[in-house]
Amino acid sequence: MKSWSLGLATVAALYAGVGHAHAWSLKEASAPYKGTTITVVGLDRPSYKIAQQLTPEFEKETGIHVHWNIFPYEDTLKEETLNFISNSQQFDAILSDVVWPVNFADPGWVLPLSKFTSDDKLADPDLDLKDFFPVWLASFTVDNKLYGLPFDSYAGLLYYNKSMLKAAGFDKPPASWDELENTYLPKLSDKSKGVWGYALQSARGETQTADAFARFLWPWGGRFIDYDNKTISVNAPNSVAGITFRQSLLKYMPDGIVSDDHSQVVQLFAQKKVAMITEWSAFYPTLAASNLGDDLGIAPEPKGPKGGYSAFGGFAYMVSSQINKKHQDATYLFIQWLTSKAMAKPLIEGGAVVARQSADEDSSVQAKFPNLAPMVDTWEHSTVPDWRPQLGCYPRFSDIVSDWGSRIELGQVAVQAGLDSMEKDLTGYMKSSNCWGKINNPEAAMAQYK
Amino acid sequence: MSDRVQDRAPPMAVAPPSWREKMEPWFFILPSVILLLAIGLYPVIYTLVASLQSWVMGMGPPSFGGLQNYAHAFTSSDFGHSVLRTLVLIVITLPIELALGMMIALALDSQNFLVLRRLLQICLVIPIAITPSVVGLLTQLMFNQQLGIINHLLGYIGIPALDWLGRPLSAYTTVLIVQIWEWTPFVALVLSAALSTVPQDIDEAAVLETERWWPRFRSIQLPFMWPGITAALVFQTAFTIKEFDMIYTIEKGGPGTATETAVMQIERMAFRGFDVGLAAAESILMLVLSILLARIYIRVFYREMD
Amino acid sequence: MSDLRAPLLRLLQAVGLVVTLLLILFPLYWMVTASLKTENDLFSMPPKWFFAPTLAAYADAIENTEVLGNLLNSVLVTVSAVALGLLVGAPAAYGIARYRFRGRRDVWFWYVTNWMLVPVVVLIPFYLTASWLGLINNPVVLILVYQVFIVPLVVWLLVDQFSAVPVALEEAAQLDGLSRVKIFLKISLPLVKPGIAVAAILSGIFAWNDMLYAFILTPSPDARTAPTVVLNYLGGYVIPWPQVMATSTMVCAPVIIGGIIVHKYIARGLTMGAVK
Repeated sequence: MKSWSLGLATVAALYAGVGHAHAWSLKEASAPYKGTTITVVGLDRPSYKIAQQLTPEFEKETGIHVHWNIFPYEDTLKEETLNFISNSQQFDAILSDVVWPVNFADPGWVLPLSKFTSDDKLADPDLDLKDFFPVWLASFTVDNKLYGLPFDSYAGLLYYNKSMLKAAGFDKPPASWDELENTYLPKLSDKSKGVWGYALQSARGETQTADAFARFLWPWGGRFIDYDNKTISVNAPNSVAGITFRQSLLKYMPDGIVSDDHSQVVQLFAQKKVAMITEWSAFYPTLAASNLGDDLGIAPEPKGPKGGYSAFGGFAYMVSSQINKKHQDATYLFIQWLTSKAMAKPLIEGGAVVARQSADEDSSVQAKFPNLAPMVDTWEHSTVPDWRPQLGCYPRFSDIVSDWGSRIELGQVAVQAGLDSMEKDLTGYMKSSNCWGKINNPEAAMAQYK
Repeated sequence: MSDRVQDRAPPMAVAPPSWREKMEPWFFILPSVILLLAIGLYPVIYTLVASLQSWVMGMGPPSFGGLQNYAHAFTSSDFGHSVLRTLVLIVITLPIELALGMMIALALDSQNFLVLRRLLQICLVIPIAITPSVVGLLTQLMFNQQLGIINHLLGYIGIPALDWLGRPLSAYTTVLIVQIWEWTPFVALVLSAALSTVPQDIDEAAVLETERWWPRFRSIQLPFMWPGITAALVFQTAFTIKEFDMIYTIEKGGPGTATETAVMQIERMAFRGFDVGLAAAESILMLVLSILLARIYIRVFYREMD
Repeated sequence: MSDLRAPLLRLLQAVGLVVTLLLILFPLYWMVTASLKTENDLFSMPPKWFFAPTLAAYADAIENTEVLGNLLNSVLVTVSAVALGLLVGAPAAYGIARYRFRGRRDVWFWYVTNWMLVPVVVLIPFYLTASWLGLINNPVVLILVYQVFIVPLVVWLLVDQFSAVPVALEEAAQLDGLSRVKIFLKISLPLVKPGIAVAAILSGIFAWNDMLYAFILTPSPDARTAPTVVLNYLGGYVIPWPQVMATSTMVCAPVIIGGIIVHKYIARGLTMGAVK
């Protein structure tokens, strides 16, 4: 009797095993979650617009209803943090900027993705994490655990006006910052005609920190933080050299540039008042649709004396830990779908930017979207995942950088003095907020993804 | 025979008030008191408690910090400067708004130009009706150095294009200008209403006595306007201190911190720095300041409440 | 005095009125025309005073945002908030105006203090409380929160209006045997109609235009009120100016129209302590 039932059990187990081996499908995986509603945080930018347009496909396939909540970028961290502090379960799919993973992971507000990727029922075998650019996965890895799936990925690019350059005698864009300043700008700037060679978005806030400050740190060998010695290095000689260079560019830029944000700078370039800008890749659709037409040129950002380091920024989707298991799983299924290889092409066609090597390096896609080639080049060779440091206390850290960075740019304080003050404030803040214990070095995680 | 309330003994004073009569006023007042207490009291207490805690959202749970936040608020140049900016804003805009508002009110008071006056009276309500954040956006649009209409119009009279928003001083001036634009019509309305309370007969007598405008204004009209002026002062001070949307949408407090008022600095601490303890302490300080100012105004100017 | 002064003053007066009118209306004009232009027309220098108007921006705004739904939310919240404010504020004003009781001055001052409460101060506690009560994204939370500045405003405006009602009328009614409440409702209240109209329109304006509270307490796109829609545009990388102005025009229109309709009352009802 015993051996017979044992045999039956074994056969049953075998059948179960065989049953599991059949292909994973979204429809089956999502069956238990039919009728669930999940809330996804998004921004008012092209990638999310097309994502919203394509969402009905997911809803039809799974029966899971997706509710998009769109916020201005400046308020997203505030909304999400308030949500977590009050445990209000307002959002299921959490949008994380490259600088926020520690903010969310450290207090345990979001879940490590291994929870889902190790679950046969949920994990799509076709997910192929290795298809993401390593720099992107590293950015969202905290303590060797991956927390987010990259979506809406940017690189800094050099946009230039071909005919303006040609009229000044240039048939290709500058390859280095040095070349840009000494060779190109003198010939391209003409104040009397209201035309400038270059414009740098410098508005107070994250724009100053990420766009106007970091950009002139790395290519000169400057750094925000010395991880080994646990010190701030914004006033080290290399950093000073970079920021000094930035100040020397000011004479070629429009007045009032310090208060200009992305929108103004892009508008100036589109109106042909500025010949070159170094802006986020996300602006490509806007510029492509403007009056510039064929005059629009795209290239990787210029290199500095210590190498090419282009601006790095972007987002990823994470799963909130404060929602119930049903919502967690449904959310994971959605973000897995959104960032899958299959969805990459339709998203790109709709104006989004995704960090999938397979899609971005596809020659037919590259032909249609000239912004992709320089982006791929940047992600593979000339950028770093900690373009801005990943700290638990990043918001106020960035605020201090932005404050002093603006003052230096306005000429209210000399470069060395301003950077010294910045270093003093940052060091004091890092100490008083115990932030040295809440720091993540994504560069170290790059190894595991290469 | 005057109908003034103050001239007659209130009906209740005829006989010593019974318990029921003593409670009567509270019958009318209680609903609003309860409502405001329920809504307003807890947040204020919470803010008070939070101000004594060391708490940065996301960086661990709150811990008792004593008066640390207050000390930090006083020594941090950020907050001090932003309060200074707010006070300067008030000190500059208030007199200008009052003066201009008074002129508009007087101009509206005459008998000429009926159509013009009517039209203006209707339009006075427009600036405060436009959503403040929209006013800020419009400012961004109109005062842009290269592409804005203001510089273009100034060009007609020979003034070169000014960098309104790019430099700290001119950005602050822009905020002043927009603030004055937004509130002067409202002040004019308040003063106009005050002006209309001047009794007709007295006014007509004055007109017959002298054609000159100043004595008439000073001796006849002004005394009736004091309550209105006081009200305008209190309102405007409060509105200016509370102003956030408009200044924020102009330039988020920039360039640098040139246009950052106290309220904006608190918002930055609370929602971008996530330092709730510090923001709470600064908020309590602002509350104390507002109450102080209100008390001063009312004691010095307001003679109605006897 | 001399014959020269009178016409000079008249000229000054006329010029002053015209200039003021232009200054007030120009930004409004600019906003509306911007909403009818294309982006290229809007930014072209020299500016295009004559252009081919288009409603494309309005169509875009309606299609890309929930502005129509948000306008409805705004109407719901504003009307309810003002109604509630008048409901509790009018009796309170009457109580303060008519009775001399202990603590009268302090109660009145407490109202003013409430009104001076800067929103940022109480934003986080409001949010946390609302969250615990499950009221986030529920318009009720805004209706309640707005009372903090509506009730004091109503009280302030109406105290003087009630003081101006002749006591003789009330006394006569009292002799006729009417209760205090009836007197309030039937005699005093109807006489302060201008004050109520002003209180309604002013608190309506402030409730409608509030952005700070609305953005934090009702952030979900379908629960939002109208002014926050404008804020959304700020966060996008590129600001679609014509669309922003179209949205702004739609958001401001109801309040401006409302203000124009009751402008007569504003002049009469805005007397604050002017009755001596």
